Amino acid sequence: MKALERAAATAKANALVLPAAIIVALVTQVPLIVTLVLSVVKWIVVRPDLGINFVGLSNYIQIFTTPEFYSIVLNTILLTLVSIACCTILGIAFAHMLNRRFPGVNLARTIMIAPFFVMDAVAGIIWKTLMLHPSFGINGLIASWLGIAPTDFLGKHSLLTIILLVVWQWTPFFVLILLAGFESISEELIDSAKVDGANAFRTLFQIKIPAIAAHIEVAIMLGLIFILKTFGLIYVTTAGGPGISSTNLPYIVYRTGFYRWDVGRAAAMAVTTVILTLVAITALFGFVRRKTNEVES
Amino acid sequence: MIFNVRFRRRALGKLGIVGIWALCLAFFFPILYMVLTSFKHETEAVPPQLFFSPTLENYRTVLGSGILPHILNSMLITVVTMLFCVLLGVPTAYSIVFGKLKKPDSVFFWFLSTTLLPPVSVIIPVFLLFKFMHLLDNRWGMVLIYTGANIPIAVWMIRSFLKDIPRELLEAADIDGATRVRSFFKLILPLARTGIISTALLVFIFVWNEFFFAVNLTYINASTIPVYMASYMTQEGLFWAKLSAISTLTVLPPLVLGWVSHKTLVRGLMMGAVKG
Repeated sequence: MKALERAAATAKANALVLPAAIIVALVTQVPLIVTLVLSVVKWIVVRPDLGINFVGLSNYIQIFTTPEFYSIVLNTILLTLVSIACCTILGIAFAHMLNRRFPGVNLARTIMIAPFFVMDAVAGIIWKTLMLHPSFGINGLIASWLGIAPTDFLGKHSLLTIILLVVWQWTPFFVLILLAGFESISEELIDSAKVDGANAFRTLFQIKIPAIAAHIEVAIMLGLIFILKTFGLIYVTTAGGPGISSTNLPYIVYRTGFYRWDVGRAAAMAVTTVILTLVAITALFGFVRRKTNEVES
Repeated sequence: MIFNVRFRRRALGKLGIVGIWALCLAFFFPILYMVLTSFKHETEAVPPQLFFSPTLENYRTVLGSGILPHILNSMLITVVTMLFCVLLGVPTAYSIVFGKLKKPDSVFFWFLSTTLLPPVSVIIPVFLLFKFMHLLDNRWGMVLIYTGANIPIAVWMIRSFLKDIPRELLEAADIDGATRVRSFFKLILPLARTGIISTALLVFIFVWNEFFFAVNLTYINASTIPVYMASYMTQEGLFWAKLSAISTLTVLPPLVLGWVSHKTLVRGLMMGAVKG
């Protein structure tokens, strides 16, 4: 009887989970498996006359023997790592600055976190036109004040520009999380550091930052997942160019899949992206864990 | 916006305060400048001018220029997705926290692991499937993909708010003879309300701002504001005042919702991560 009741309860619990699980599986797991299958076929969607042919690993061999693909992988890694490093440093700095009482602190915090809620399309547009335009943007204005020629950010430093925009959008997210961390540190901990004669600098690095390690970890994790998929910013600002100088993996998958309609090769690139994402997350998670242990011991 | 600010013993110098304010303003400047430009006449927008006679002309032009169907698309897709995510996410999270699943943790981590998948890894099959099922450029297709993509984050957040509710409360209700359905509506739901609302707002922000799926799966009929923005930029990119007006309109909803809910959002994210 007991076993029967338990089975019934489990069935009920399963029934509650099932609808959500089916939808999530339908739009994530099933397509992922199809992507794996597509990555071993040759299929140009706009050329139905060529048909769909199994080609083994030739899509993978093709992309890994193209030098450009390595630059794109490198772009993706650079974009992600540099952005996350900047976001972490700026995030800690801003969160620490804003974790005190001064006139208008609430307003200062409110405007500081705003860029995070601005959509990629708009962030890209206002930076491309109002801010960085060499002639009519703030960029041109500052250059004329300084009496120098304006920098052509999108043309000459395209990847750097994308990094700048990502940092602008994601630093507020880091500030949000890390500020919550700083606020959760107990007064006693800070007081005891002061009693021990630690100065503000040492208190920050040896007491406060280790105390918010969990918060830093969450911010970096989520930041990594989202920054790896950067697409909209590139789409509206540089369109991956000039050349492939600001193309990352999501953007090249889009170009290959939806411009050349070479779905097999695009799928192989997508699979590579998944593997890279998993490696990055595992490596970073291990790194952060090790750092945390070092600080604690 | 209410923040809990603790007093610091050492008062901050005037210079320090000015410095912090200057840095925050610098960070906010692009948004401020966008809003200001949206009230300028086109002739005042380029090159940058500090003084101008404010006008609502840009907003009038922009609202009459065919953005309304896209605002409607965004509204519809976002609100319906938000409802679906809550309606499917709450039972799932409830089942994981209070239910008798065989392996609640594995179920939870399965949901969580799907958020690690980059959207590019699913876009081609989804595109082909949508093409086959005539869901391309269709609002319901977008609702389907967004619901699937955002349920995991909803489950993560709602789970951490539900975990915050002491189990003893539910057990006490059981002893009093209340059915689980009754205790859910009378006990759990009121306690988790703030958390569930913030989760819904987070889903709203994500879906409203989403670009990748929108640009690949919609063309004219179902395209949302971000897609319209990108094409507007290519067509009318020279009219910066109008561009600013349209941008200001589209960032307003997520900005306001973000400002309202960010405290609870951070709490949900951190509780989910720290308590495991």
